[in-house]
Amino acid sequence: MSAAAVQTRGLTRRYRDVLAVDGLDLTVERGEIYGFLGLNGAGKTTTIRMLLGMIHPTSGSAAVLGATVRRGGRGPWDSVGYLVESPAPYPGLTVAENLWAAARLRGVNDAAVERAVERLGLAPYASRKARALSQGNRQRLGLATALFHEPELLILDEPANGLDPAGVVEVRELLQSLAAEHGVTVLMSSHILAEVDRLATRIGIIHEGRLIEEVSAAELEARRALRLVVEARDPDAARRSLQNAGYDPQPTNTGLELREPRAVERPDDVAATMVASGQAPTRLAVEQEDLEAHFLRLTAPSAELPSPVLRKAS
Amino acid sequence: MSGFVAALRVEALKARRSVVPLVTALAFSIAPLVGGLFMYILADPERARRMGLIGQKAQIAGGASDWPAYFGFLAQAATVGGFILFAFVVAWVFGREFSDGTVRYLLALPTSRATIIAAKLVVVSVWCGALTALITVLGFAAGAALSLPGWSAEAIWPGLAHIWAGAGLTLLIVMPVALLAGVGRGYLAPLGFAMLALILAQVVGATGRGAYFPWSIPALYAQVAGSAGGGVTALSFAIVAVTGAAGAAGTFAWWLYADFSR
Repeated sequence: MSAAAVQTRGLTRRYRDVLAVDGLDLTVERGEIYGFLGLNGAGKTTTIRMLLGMIHPTSGSAAVLGATVRRGGRGPWDSVGYLVESPAPYPGLTVAENLWAAARLRGVNDAAVERAVERLGLAPYASRKARALSQGNRQRLGLATALFHEPELLILDEPANGLDPAGVVEVRELLQSLAAEHGVTVLMSSHILAEVDRLATRIGIIHEGRLIEEVSAAELEARRALRLVVEARDPDAARRSLQNAGYDPQPTNTGLELREPRAVERPDDVAATMVASGQAPTRLAVEQEDLEAHFLRLTAPSAELPSPVLRKAS
Repeated sequence: MSGFVAALRVEALKARRSVVPLVTALAFSIAPLVGGLFMYILADPERARRMGLIGQKAQIAGGASDWPAYFGFLAQAATVGGFILFAFVVAWVFGREFSDGTVRYLLALPTSRATIIAAKLVVVSVWCGALTALITVLGFAAGAALSLPGWSAEAIWPGLAHIWAGAGLTLLIVMPVALLAGVGRGYLAPLGFAMLALILAQVVGATGRGAYFPWSIPALYAQVAGSAGGGVTALSFAIVAVTGAAGAAGTFAWWLYADFSR
């Protein structure tokens, strides 16, 4: 049980001249909810397919639940549930039949299927042909197929795709309860930052096939830049007064922002400076850069990226 | 073994819930009915002449109106018509997993890919067997309704054996279609291959070397090779067997070792 849920060593996949995944060293410990974050085409799905033995790495290796993933090998698949890209149920089969078929191939009894149907709110659609399902319900069916056999590891590619806001919350709570109550490890990819932000205990950011940052959720929180947002009735005059006091205010759409630690850590001094110069602030707030901004900063084409290997979470 | 039975049940369900079995059954039913029509025309040469074109075609296809001629026609249907339909069945059973995107659910399961492929091959074989049974039964019914002459054990058993052996040979030569469904990731490549094989079979058959071209052999066996003809030998059967085995082995190997990036 000591082996990590997922471990890759120099995992690489090249398609002719395209390096889809480049020397990926990824470790997902048991019980974690690991958010695998990246833009479209960053290499998330190729990585997931390599973890599931669907694509063979050009070099490097992957181990899932302690078992090395091999060509055509059996692997630890009875303990793994997965959803790769969009769900594609058999269109001519009903929801119940799709799950029945999946259960036969996993050697699982029908009671487990019924629990999954209930859990994902699919009961009203059980006798509906999959081709007639809404995208959200197809996604629910895909998730039910991934988890009805109560796997130790769930590998989910964009699990919230196609779900309405209520569905997104439901799935988030479901994954949280699976991890908290049943110790299920979740590796989920996403390009929806808020989704990962609220759920993952650790986050890896992949860009152009390389893992460019891997941090715990708490560390990411701390790493996101702080700024002091200031608004005044006369922004130009306020800016001049702050510059005279040695600050470096930058104009924004709504007012000014200051990023220097001196301002962020002591906003009261900024307020006092402004009041003293007759430019009392109408708004003064310390804001944290959102994950989106952090992510865009990391993946910006112009950014000077550090070496492919990252600042690892402690 | 239980994994295989489970996979077989799943494959059977997928086939049952589709209209494709019905479509193939309807398409194959045409063969004994058209054969019966030919027999009906040929039973009365005067009527055959009055019917012009149809009469001429019937003359080419059959010649006589009796049970041996009718079984000969059905054996031709089982090989030439059978090739197209069996190829369609194989292309559908294997190709639909790619066209529908469902293949992703078959790849990382406790049930191995080889087990699933074996189940698919069994479903294909049973399906093609059922289609052959259908034309056999319909053939008996149509022949009886027409009161065809020449009914005897000596005529019936070889005739039946001819139909079923022809269908069996045809099933073997469509095995590469299963491989092509994987390599081409859908229906188009395998069906394109089947069409090409059918055309090549005509061309090679016409050059008199059909007995050594796998896709000509079943039709030659059923004696529709055209003017050049050419005797089917033991080597011909061996070529068909090797083609079937290579197609099936290639399909297993492809599913075990290919990249599934879609």
